[in-house]
Amino acid sequence: MGKLILNEWTKLFRRIGTWVMFGIVILMVIGMGTYLKYDESNHPPQENLNWKQDLTVQLENDRTSLEEVGQNNANLRTFYERQIAIKEYQIENELSPETGQNVWSFIGEAMGAIGFIGVFTIIIAAGIVSNEFSWGTVKLLLIRPMKRTRILLAKYLTVLLFGISMLSATFLIAAVIGFALFGLPEQAIPHLAYVDGQVVERSLFMQLIGEYLLGSIDVLMLATMAFMISAVFRNSSLAIGLSLFLMFMGGTVTMIVASKYEWAKYILFANTDLSVYFDGVPLVDGMTLGFSIFILFLYFALFQFLAFFVFAKRDVTA
Amino acid sequence: MKEVLRLDHVKKVIKGKKIIDDLSFSVREGEIFGFLGPNGAGKTTTIRMIVGLMKISEGDIVIAGKSIKKDFTKAIGQVGAIVENPEMYKFLTGYQNLLQYARMHEGITKEKIAEIVELVGLTDRIHEKVKSYSLGMRQRLGLAQCLLHDPKLLILDEPTNGLDPAGIREIRDHLRLLTRERGMSVIVSSHLLSEMELMCDRIAIIQNGKLIDVQTVNEFVQNRTATYQIETGSLGDAAFWLKSEWNIVMSKEGFTVETERENIPLLIRNLAAAGVDVFGVKTISKTLEDRFLEVTNK
Ligand SMILES: Nc1ncnc2c1ncn2[C@@H]1O[C@H](COP(=O)(O)OP(=O)(O)O)[C@@H](O)[C@H]1O
Ligand SMILES: [Mg+2]
Repeated sequence: MGKLILNEWTKLFRRIGTWVMFGIVILMVIGMGTYLKYDESNHPPQENLNWKQDLTVQLENDRTSLEEVGQNNANLRTFYERQIAIKEYQIENELSPETGQNVWSFIGEAMGAIGFIGVFTIIIAAGIVSNEFSWGTVKLLLIRPMKRTRILLAKYLTVLLFGISMLSATFLIAAVIGFALFGLPEQAIPHLAYVDGQVVERSLFMQLIGEYLLGSIDVLMLATMAFMISAVFRNSSLAIGLSLFLMFMGGTVTMIVASKYEWAKYILFANTDLSVYFDGVPLVDGMTLGFSIFILFLYFALFQFLAFFVFAKRDVTA
Repeated sequence: MKEVLRLDHVKKVIKGKKIIDDLSFSVREGEIFGFLGPNGAGKTTTIRMIVGLMKISEGDIVIAGKSIKKDFTKAIGQVGAIVENPEMYKFLTGYQNLLQYARMHEGITKEKIAEIVELVGLTDRIHEKVKSYSLGMRQRLGLAQCLLHDPKLLILDEPTNGLDPAGIREIRDHLRLLTRERGMSVIVSSHLLSEMELMCDRIAIIQNGKLIDVQTVNEFVQNRTATYQIETGSLGDAAFWLKSEWNIVMSKEGFTVETERENIPLLIRNLAAAGVDVFGVKTISKTLEDRFLEVTNK
């Protein structure tokens, strides 16, 4: 399998387009850093001396909201309980909210690049099978002593590897740029997580990695879908078009549907943002982390089944 | 002699249409086997089934004792093939292309690759991008790709397509060498018959997906009636019975007729009796081409 992945990787990186994709993402992170630095020098951050009072006011509001909406919406109740617990913890432990940029906050900002990573990963996923058909090379690829499914698996793993590389590259570049431009925070800041009704301090570094991974779930699902379309229909334009359309519109459409119908919770895009279970509110009342993971798994399995089943069976007429 | 490939009543139906109909033949060890048929006869479809790119609707194909249906990886491991054009990754060099395929077989060393590159005569250009290759060079790279894993059976689909006479000759020499020195069997498909005559030991002819005939090249050329060119004056009314009884074809100098040698004196006597002037009789040696047309037009 390693050799097959090496083959796919070679085919990707011997083409200029792939390097351009990396270039764009890196330039974006650099551009973002430059802009934020420029912005910061124009409006220097001021330490908020009244942060405790401000938080107390916010706490009051949160408590009222909890009284009002918390009764009949379990998800909102959890949300406000979490907000309140974390703010109380901050006041108790003198953890003032950081005002200026630092390397960690910049890595967080750089998550904006995940959209681009998504577009590029979808383009790669859409082409990795169908290109072989349009180039005619599939005829030489599939007459080797290995099962078609093995070759397809190598291609899928290569797409994953590509996405992960882009994500890691973004994270690393953001860390380097963030450190160079903004430096470390004045004091080490932990991430405050709310687990089983308790506020616990977590490593911010690990938290950021987690956020990057959670933020990539829709990319993973859409790339898997693009890969499936590419393997089934052998047409990269269709795969790219449909997947990008869903990437940009899927969330909005799901939101509109969700405002009217409860079944919206079965739509893929209602479940791709798992971060709502950690610091937000899920789209439809009563949705749980387990439910979303289960739905994601179902879609994933469906895409993979279609891709592998059809690819292994269909005649190659390219 | 041992057989390397056997097709057993192979059928292929696509969307209800019979593309290949009950095709059976076998290829022996060390022979060059011609697979002949006009465009659309089903040569490529048959080859796609042999190498497992297409499923066999009915029947089976056995390569070196292994069924391509039931034992795909073992069977295909004995095959090197080019199906239609030798399409390679244009953005890679010839060498990088070969590496791709080398990684998909067991135990192909750098030395082996170098040896094959030398054999097909690409040593000087192997590190250039395939983009810059001529068709002949791509054809050679395609051949190299087939040979890396020392297959028992080589399948080339219309390898002479688009090549100049020198390129065609080169392919022919390669194939001779491979069968003689390495004991490989080769299947070459073509719709061009003049080529087959020089290249192949045996030839199968297919038309509309059906096997018409399998013969050795010698049988093929010998076993025949001949065509005679008869130089005459005006035929007049004689043209009617000549056409109906002798099935002649009019030509500039007179007509041509296809018949056995013994019949010629009778024809001349009949012509004389009808008052047609005969100036000369000439035998036209028949090429494989004519023979092929004759067989496929039946
Ligand atoms: N995928 C396909 N769908 C429908 N018909 C096909 C397909 N592939 C080939 N054919 C038909 O099968 C016949 C044989 O084609 P082919 O094997 O390419 O012939 P050859 O290689 O001898 O020129 C042709 O009539 C062609 O139109
Ligand atoms: Mg053909």
